[in-house]
Amino acid sequence: MDTSYSITANDLYRWVDSLVGRFCVLGPVPAKRGQNAFVRIDGSEQLDLSYCSTMTSPRCFIYPSVQQLFEIDREANTYKTIDPGPARTQLIFALHPCDMHAVTVLDRTFLGAFQDFYYAKLRRETLTVVLNCNQACDKGFCSSMRTGPFLRLKEGFDVVMTSLGNEYLLESGSDRGQELIETAPGVQAARREQLDEKRQLEQRAAASFTKTLEIEGLPELLMKTMEHPVYKEVADERCLGCSNCVLVCPTCFCYKVIDKSDFGPRMVERSRQWDACQDYGFAEVHTGNFRAPQQARLRQFMTHKLCTWLEQYGCFGCIGCGRCMTWCPTGIDITEMAKEIQNDPTRQLG
Amino acid sequence: MDMVQGNPLLPQMARVEERITETGDTISLKFSGPGSQPLLYRPGQFNMIGIPGFGEAPFSFSSLDGADGTFVHTIRVAGNVVLALHRLQPGDRATFRGPFGAGWPLDKARGKSVLVIAGGIGMAPLRPVVEYTLKNRDSFHEVFLLYGAKTTDDILYKEQLADWNEGITVLLAADEPRGELLLEVHKGVVTKLFDYVHVPLAETITFACGPQVMMKFAAARLILDGQSGDDIYVSLERRMECGITHCGHCQLGAKYVCKDGPVFALADITRFQDTLL
Repeated sequence: MDTSYSITANDLYRWVDSLVGRFCVLGPVPAKRGQNAFVRIDGSEQLDLSYCSTMTSPRCFIYPSVQQLFEIDREANTYKTIDPGPARTQLIFALHPCDMHAVTVLDRTFLGAFQDFYYAKLRRETLTVVLNCNQACDKGFCSSMRTGPFLRLKEGFDVVMTSLGNEYLLESGSDRGQELIETAPGVQAARREQLDEKRQLEQRAAASFTKTLEIEGLPELLMKTMEHPVYKEVADERCLGCSNCVLVCPTCFCYKVIDKSDFGPRMVERSRQWDACQDYGFAEVHTGNFRAPQQARLRQFMTHKLCTWLEQYGCFGCIGCGRCMTWCPTGIDITEMAKEIQNDPTRQLG
Repeated sequence: MDMVQGNPLLPQMARVEERITETGDTISLKFSGPGSQPLLYRPGQFNMIGIPGFGEAPFSFSSLDGADGTFVHTIRVAGNVVLALHRLQPGDRATFRGPFGAGWPLDKARGKSVLVIAGGIGMAPLRPVVEYTLKNRDSFHEVFLLYGAKTTDDILYKEQLADWNEGITVLLAADEPRGELLLEVHKGVVTKLFDYVHVPLAETITFACGPQVMMKFAAARLILDGQSGDDIYVSLERRMECGITHCGHCQLGAKYVCKDGPVFALADITRFQDTLL
């Protein structure tokens, strides 16, 4: 991010309209019951850039919930890879820093030692234009997880925007992002006072959080307290095993593979869809189940995000968006559970 | 590992060359892969074997890699994919992806004694270890195979056991010894066989595979007798849908059984939860 640019709000919306002509633009719009959702937009007037969060993270356009993998012909013994698309290059507009960070977390899974073909293609053919958050959202704790409220990534995204009210700052994170900015109407070099305002906005945003989590020493503590009674207590009293947490979590990646055949049976479609470690049969084998008890599954979700993910990928799995606790029917809050362990690590059951 | 067309989920075709009935519910299938290049793999690794329409499942290699490029998988009836595999005859095809995983650390056992503990179908991933020690007998000091199954019928590779006993020490056990083999079958669980041998545990590497309860008790006995958890290796089974650390099902604490395993030193996994059924 060498040069910062500035654009008026009006010109920003004109920019979006020009982008809609070139890309499949996915942006935040008002949805049911006061919610927002990322959908394909046809014009800038649909956008609601004041949105706080969405139920489904826009990572779903890069790693969709259902993905066709192969078309198999059992007679010819052929496996044909199904193109994941996109039909037109995608541009996710105004995703928040937490959600952008989540995509880079997924990169470590799907573009690591083994590269997932489908994820790699969609990631390559999706542009990302981030919108910094000037205020903490209801259940977010991204400042504690160091993923927000302003974008802290140096790479892995294309453009980051900061709202200064009637004007926006634009900064690029890639060559593609730089090109995008240069196509925006009325773009000028950012002024000194605009950059100062950005810094002040960031400080104010960081101070506006009501939800925090101390992550220093947390992974080591969780590894040592796997038998802490909080897991059983919350599982017994509140967890339904409904998997909402997993389905809304932007960094969850587990999937199951499904073969569907026609009545030949000759043609088989192999596809994958999101799976959840909260599901009873997730760790089941013929001879038994490695994670049958509810508390073991609840513990798996929380400790994977806040503990073992670090050993696996060198970063936290949790990006502090607060979706899991927003959409949990019984309001289970992993930051509260972590604090219980931090406050009394040696507490025993009973 | 051969990445077909840059897509690690895209399998290769395997042809069944031979089908051997091992026991009432277990067969061995000898596969040949495509092309002339033999599949190179290490004992302890596994393939994801599949049948279109039924999906894929992980199976350890149960033979040393053959110079003729064939590889064997011993498969016990247990699940949908396996039911489909059990119908395969020579000439039929299945798909495979692999080899995946970390194998048995045979190099660590060079110059030392080797203790192989097998229970039931757990003998399948350990046969390559036995074959390797016989093929490189001078590299190892004493070699023991303690092998137990439910009944004598359930013992795998029956015709080979007496030959193996020429080069290494083979002891067999069954909960219900029935019928006759060339070797004596002691009554009891496999850990009972400890009574019949003296294993110099201080300079021994143990490779174990079998039902969870067997591995648990065998390991406990070895630890009690003074063997280090760093020298006891187990092969674990987990639900696997991808074999490449993406589907997430095989996670064991911070480890992926498909990549960091399926072979683990006991000392490396005791700190994790949900290790046992």
